[in-house]
Amino acid sequence: MNEPQFNRERASPRVPSNDFFDFTRTDSRRSFALLALGASLGLAIAGYGLFTSKGTSTNRLPPEDIALVNQKPIYRSDFVIQTQTLYSVPFEQTTAQQRRKVLEDMINEELMVQRGIEVDLPGYDPDVRTALVAGVELQMYADVLARSPTDAELEAYYQKHRDKYSSVGVLRLRDLMLNFMPGETDAQRSERAVRLVTELRQGARLDDAFMEKNALRDSGALLVSGKTDLGDIFDFAAQEKLQPQVYAAARRLPAGQVSDPVTAGDGLHIVVMNARKVPEALSFSAARERVWNDMKTEAQERIRNATYGYLRSKADIVAADIH
Amino acid sequence: MIRTGIACVAVVLLGAAIYHQVHASSLEARLVRALPGEIATDPELVEFAQSVAPPVYREHCAVCHGPALGGERARGAPNLADDRWLYGTGTIYEIEQTVLYGIRSGHPKSHNLTDMPGLGRTGQLTQQDVRDVVEYILAISKQPHDATAVERGRAIFAGAGVCYDCHGGDALGISDYGTPALTGLGGAWLYGGERETLYKSVWDGRHGSCPAWVGTLSFVQIRALAVFLHGKSQHE
Repeated sequence: MNEPQFNRERASPRVPSNDFFDFTRTDSRRSFALLALGASLGLAIAGYGLFTSKGTSTNRLPPEDIALVNQKPIYRSDFVIQTQTLYSVPFEQTTAQQRRKVLEDMINEELMVQRGIEVDLPGYDPDVRTALVAGVELQMYADVLARSPTDAELEAYYQKHRDKYSSVGVLRLRDLMLNFMPGETDAQRSERAVRLVTELRQGARLDDAFMEKNALRDSGALLVSGKTDLGDIFDFAAQEKLQPQVYAAARRLPAGQVSDPVTAGDGLHIVVMNARKVPEALSFSAARERVWNDMKTEAQERIRNATYGYLRSKADIVAADIH
Repeated sequence: MIRTGIACVAVVLLGAAIYHQVHASSLEARLVRALPGEIATDPELVEFAQSVAPPVYREHCAVCHGPALGGERARGAPNLADDRWLYGTGTIYEIEQTVLYGIRSGHPKSHNLTDMPGLGRTGQLTQQDVRDVVEYILAISKQPHDATAVERGRAIFAGAGVCYDCHGGDALGISDYGTPALTGLGGAWLYGGERETLYKSVWDGRHGSCPAWVGTLSFVQIRALAVFLHGKSQHE
């Protein structure tokens, strides 16, 4: 009985209402109003995001900044502190002219820095590159440099690396070489070397006359300012300067002794050890400063390598084959 | 009718939320834009900062300086609730600079002019020298001390130790360097004023640090922290 009436109601077209807030009826004005509201809201949100996100070019000065130079901020806090520092008075006591000068200086500095980047100063100026590297390293090592290891940590490191901690040995030696003599064969030169070693061991005076008479000369390995160094030389320096075979002979030679003839790449040598102070193992308390430095150096090395690894993993590096 | 009512309430709530947000943004901007002297005289800004700072402090600072701002000697983290400041005189902007860039943080603008050298470890002073200078510090901080060593310690303080150069001839510290007073006024020691702790400080040196928070915290949070800490020190 009621069915036909129900169908009629559903099928009947909706009657436009004059009531804007009657949500049971269709209202074209309301539809347009809501559409416009939605569109406006969307535009507002998009605009807000666009003009307030970081890196957006805008003329609006963020409250924390005293200036924007090509969108690069100069912080208000830095400006205040710089003004106080420059004029050595509280900020409130500085004049507008003083503040303007500081701000102008800060802007000029920023402009110059940006110009430097624009012309790629870090790309070719060695001083800028060095300063950049030093700055990055300082940031990398900040934690290491600020850290103060405990005694237990220092001692543990010392015990683990005891062989590293000894006093530096000091030598005073002559590294003599036999001059080539006309007509002298290798065998004859070797015999001459053995004879000279015997004479020196028996106490022959090693002076200019002896050197000239026996065609001997200083090797020149221990030259200082063009003259042979007859004074003390650190063990590690001797190792650096002498021929390996000669240093090997010198390392075993006690003070006052003369080595056997030593054949090296450049000829026959005789080492005369005038004096030496052998390296001695250092106690923990004596080595403490070195231990601390070594620990820091090691930690810095680890951080540097990790940083290089990280940077390389991100970098696109193309290098030629150098072989 | 009910729907209309709900719509009206929703509109009012939305309006209130928008107003609150705009007001807060306006307060944030005012707080950050304020120049020295402008903040302390504006109760609304101070109140706003006091509401922003505590959760930031709890999350980022309390781990070293303690939940009650009392500091932690084991870390050399200073008490932030007293009116003694290592760097500067404790103005809002000076506190803010420390929060922004830190101390020996690796940031190029951090406080990093000097640190306490290990005078014994580097061989500048002998064990006896360090013991004497410690007795001198105990004496000027009104603690039990060995009177026979005080004069020797004073001479080392003003001579071979070069302590006066950073801590001042009066041992009151120099805020340009961030060096603490050695008089222990009100028990204010950075690492502790006991004989053993002082000995360790002089022998091994100290290298306390504080992170740079610029880039991690917002400028509003940093300024709010500075105002908050400034307020705490003023109350003390």
